[in-house]
This record gives sequence, C-alpha cells and structure tokens, in this order.
Amino acid sequence: MKKKLKLADISKGGDTQLININIDELVPLPPPYDKVEEVRGFKQLTEDQRERLVCNLDGVVSYAALPKPKSKEEEKKYVEQFVSGLKKLLSKENNWTFLQPLLLSLDYCAQCQTCNDACPIYLASGKNDLYRPTYRSEIFRRLVNKYIKPGGKLRAKLTGGDIELNWTTITRLYELSYRCNLCRRCAQSCPMGVDNALISRELRKLFSQELGWAPKELHEKGTVLQLEVGSATGLRPNVAIDNLKFLDEEFSEATGIDVSTPWDKEGADILLIHSAGDIISFPESPISFTILCNAAGLSWTLSSEIPGYDGINYGVFYDDVQLARVATRHAQIARKLKVKKMVMGECGHQHKAMMTVADRVLTGDLNIPRENVMTFLENIVFSGKIKFDPSKNDFPVTLHDPCNIVRNLGIVEPQRRILRYLCPQFREMTPHGVDNYCCGGGGGLSVMSDVNFTDWKVYVAGRMKFKQILEAFSDQPGPEVNKYLCAPCLNCKLQFRDILEYYGALGKSGIICGGLAELIVNAMVDIKKPFITWEEQ
Amino acid sequence: MAQMELAGEMYEVDENGFMQETDRWNEDVARAYAALEGVNEVTADHWEAINYLRGYYLENGICPMIRRLIKVKGFNLSRLYELFPQGPANSACKWAGVPKPTGCV
Repeated sequence: MKKKLKLADISKGGDTQLININIDELVPLPPPYDKVEEVRGFKQLTEDQRERLVCNLDGVVSYAALPKPKSKEEEKKYVEQFVSGLKKLLSKENNWTFLQPLLLSLDYCAQCQTCNDACPIYLASGKNDLYRPTYRSEIFRRLVNKYIKPGGKLRAKLTGGDIELNWTTITRLYELSYRCNLCRRCAQSCPMGVDNALISRELRKLFSQELGWAPKELHEKGTVLQLEVGSATGLRPNVAIDNLKFLDEEFSEATGIDVSTPWDKEGADILLIHSAGDIISFPESPISFTILCNAAGLSWTLSSEIPGYDGINYGVFYDDVQLARVATRHAQIARKLKVKKMVMGECGHQHKAMMTVADRVLTGDLNIPRENVMTFLENIVFSGKIKFDPSKNDFPVTLHDPCNIVRNLGIVEPQRRILRYLCPQFREMTPHGVDNYCCGGGGGLSVMSDVNFTDWKVYVAGRMKFKQILEAFSDQPGPEVNKYLCAPCLNCKLQFRDILEYYGALGKSGIICGGLAELIVNAMVDIKKPFITWEEQ
Repeated sequence: MAQMELAGEMYEVDENGFMQETDRWNEDVARAYAALEGVNEVTADHWEAINYLRGYYLENGICPMIRRLIKVKGFNLSRLYELFPQGPANSACKWAGVPKPTGCV
C-alpha cells in the first residue's frame, strides 16, 4: 500500500528512504509487456552503495557524487548555501533568465491540483504523491515564504505547514528535481499558468550554481567537456571530421550516390549544427541531412570549431552560466563563418536553447537568424528539387513530438505535412501535438545513467509514452510487421533506444526508432536500396 | 568513489563498474570482467575487438563508432553481441578498461 505523503515528510527520517517504487503499482502495460519488468526487476542498491551513497528519496540514485556531510558543521554549511541560493533565485541581479515566470509560479498556484493528472511521471507511477508536480513546488514555495520573505519563520509557525530545512530536505529536493522531465505538460494544463517544470529547473540551477551539485553526465562530462574539447561525447574536432568522412564513404558505397559533407565553408548560407551524438550513435541522421541538403542544392556547411559541431546545450537543463557559454559560442561560430542563418539539427533542447532562452544573450551581431529543423526539412521536401516515391515508406509510422520543439515552440504541422506526404501508413499517437507525452528522457534524463537511474527513467518516466506507442501500432502489434517510431530529437531517440531494448520491443513488436530526415531519404527515388532497415540498433 | 576487485587488485570504478584509471588496465582485468558476465574464455576475437577499442580510445579520447568497429574488424552486430553479452558499449568498452561512453551517445 502506498502511504499518503505529507509535505512535511520531506524533512523527516534522515537517511531513510521516503518511498518505495513497486512495479505492480505502476500503470500496467499491454501484453506482451505486462510481465517483462517482473522478470527483469528494478535494480536494487547494494549494501555497499546504501552505505556510501545518499539514497533517501525513492531508492533511485541519479548522482552518486552527492556528498555525505562528515560533520554537523558541514551539514549546516550546505543548508546555508541552499538559503543563499534561494535568495539569488529571487533577485533580479542573479536571475536574469527566469525571475518573472518563477515569481508568477510561486504566487499564483491555486492548489487546484489540475496539473497532477497532466504529468506522465505521476500517472505512470500509479499516482504516487511524491511525483505530483505540486509536491515539489509547494515545498519550494513554503521554503521561499519561510526563509526569504520578511517574518516568514514566525508566519510558518503560526499558520502551520512549516517545512524544516535540513540536510535531508535539501538532498531529497536535489534528487526530486531530477524526477521531472521539464516537459511542461503541467504548465500547459494550469488554469493560472503556473510552471512547475520551471520550479524543478530552478531548483537544479540553485544546486548547480550555488552548491556545485549537478549530474556528472550534464556538467562534468556534459557542458564542461563540450566547452573544452568540443563535444559532450568527447569527440574532438579532428575526430568529428574523420568520423563523418568515414560515414560519407560508407554511405556513398551503400546508396550509390555521392555523399559529401562540407566543413567550415566560410560564406555558406546555412550553418547546420547537429548533435554530435547523432554522428556516433545514429549516423543515418547526419548523413540524411547531407544527402538532402546536397540534393536540394543548398549552400550549407558544418563547423569543426569547438563546439560548433555539437549543438546540444545541457545548460538548458540545469545551469544558466553554462547555458549562456554554450549558446554564445555557437552564435560566435556562425558569425565567424558569415552564414545567413543557423539551422538546428534534430534535437529538442537545442531548439529551446537557441530559439527561446538564448534570445537574452544573443544580441547585436550575435543575433543571427535561427531556423528550426521542421520548417527547414519541409522546405526541402516541397522544394520540387527532389523526387520521392512514398510507396517506399509503406510501413506503419508514428510520430513522437519532442516537447521542446512542439509544446514549447508550437511547431506542430511542418513535420506532419512531410509524413502525410511521404508515409502512407502514418498514424498519430493519442494524445499528440502540443498535448504529447514526453519520451521520459526530457530535461536531460535521457543522458543520465548513474547507479540505477536508467531503470527509473525507462520504467516510470518513459512508461506513458511506451504505452501510447504500442497503442498507436495496436492494429498490427506483431513483430512480423516492421514499424517505425519517428522521433526527431536525439535525446528522445536515446530514451527510446533504452526503452525498446529494455522491453525487447524490436523482437516482440518490430519497432525501431529513428529520425525524420531518414524517412525522407528512404522515400527518395534516387536512393535505390532501402535506407531504413530493421536490424538491431 | 566505488572500488572493485578485479584479478586480485582493487580499482576505482564508477557505479556501473567501469574503470576510472584507464592506465592501470591489463589483460587480467579484461578476463575478470568477462568472467563476471559469464564469459570464461576470452578468445582471439574478443581480443581483436578489445584491443581495437582500447587503442582507438587512447588515440582519440573517445570510443569508436560501432559502425567503424564493425567495418575495421569485420564482425557484424550480432557477432559483437555474441562476444560481449551486454553489447559493445556496456561490455566491450568496460572490458577494455575505458570509461563508459556518455554525452548523448
């Protein structure tokens, strides 16, 4: 039985775990996936890990390096840092990015709880109180009221609902800020416009910028590595070029057409910025862009300057300083190449970084026009320069809407116009478009894999999505029919790779996942052999 | 930082068991990892893949694309999964003593 969780419980119980996740309480999946998790299980922490790691939330650890304080003084220091971070979040000198929406979200929650039923994580969990968007936010709100507002401590005592701020509270809040996909489905459902995802994100920012706590995949091996060597994958400029040369040759051979990716062409019209992970893990994606841009006769280039060949910007997920550094570097590279515009690759949070948040830093001659990938591809497809044969895509296709492109930017139809034209068996998921469910990897979760976090992001965060994918293909559920899950975002594809692999969904249902550009290339008359194949990815 | 005993020595590893001290790797370490995944004999094909991965990593600071590994060594993907039960990233890289690939890969 799930116990009813009170807000004040967050600070109680020291190192003990606040809740347990039981697989049988999660929303059920349709057969044959209803038993898979029982077989595979949820990775439990070892005794040694419980001893070493901070594990006081839900039995899941996303950040093994979260420090355990060695003394009361150290504990006190962290709590003081947290309060100082709270103050900064609420001051205009320190929060140049999100102060206004944060203040509105703190002030206007009517406690109606409408957002809870919009949250795929809460729904998937079998409505576990811990994952209510309002659970995290209301604790944050009460801490702000108590520690930041004048007379707050006294008022908290008088009015009840006092939350104690201690070591347990802050470490649990840290982990809880990474049990949110920042998908903003909650914000969309809120009659007052409160953005609980922003509160998760601002909590992460507080922890990163004030306490130095951030998932190693996002910070140390994320933005830090990207700014230093060029890519969070570790891909250096010469290795990136070398890899794409290798892929150009491979695909020239495989497709029978000349595939040649341009690098560092000063004065090209377009700077295209892929996510470097696509080069390594989904090479058909960057190659498809090369084929399409060349076939459409565009003047375009990639950049090999650090970090101009990796469009990711994990700062979006956790840290404004890193966000601004990466975004500024990207724009500086475009300025240096004298391009007319930058085009985002198939990466959702890159769109969020460059098309919305970075508006605040990309001013003057850094304000280079930036185009999203969907209209870019749509213009290529309907340019009349490439011949297509849609019957080459005659297999069931469904479309995943990356939250940052679709809900966040409202770019809904261009990708659908392409699919309706090129994929005779295209079908929508329910719900879709701006009402979509997140893949479960949003908010940076798809690249986080410390300790047992992958289990959580697949079983819980990705659950509603996996369910709706299966439902979209329920007319032909068996593996004898090849199916394509089109996910035009690298982070989403990585999350789907984990989900499909965990459940064995290629073998059981014939589902593979890839991007949008690959489907376009697969339909090209000039591409003789099938470009998309249903082999193990 | 987690510690792990491999072939009688203690090594620093991440929480998924990947070595953090790449330069302390030796062939016994690879054999010990293999044994933990139920592979008791590390064959010539295993060494081909392991040595290639390790050499590429030391030269380039990143593991090679799987596609390149397949091309250079002539194994197909199912052969790689036969050799390395959890696949090229989770088994082969681990046995080769290089860090777990991260960063949108």
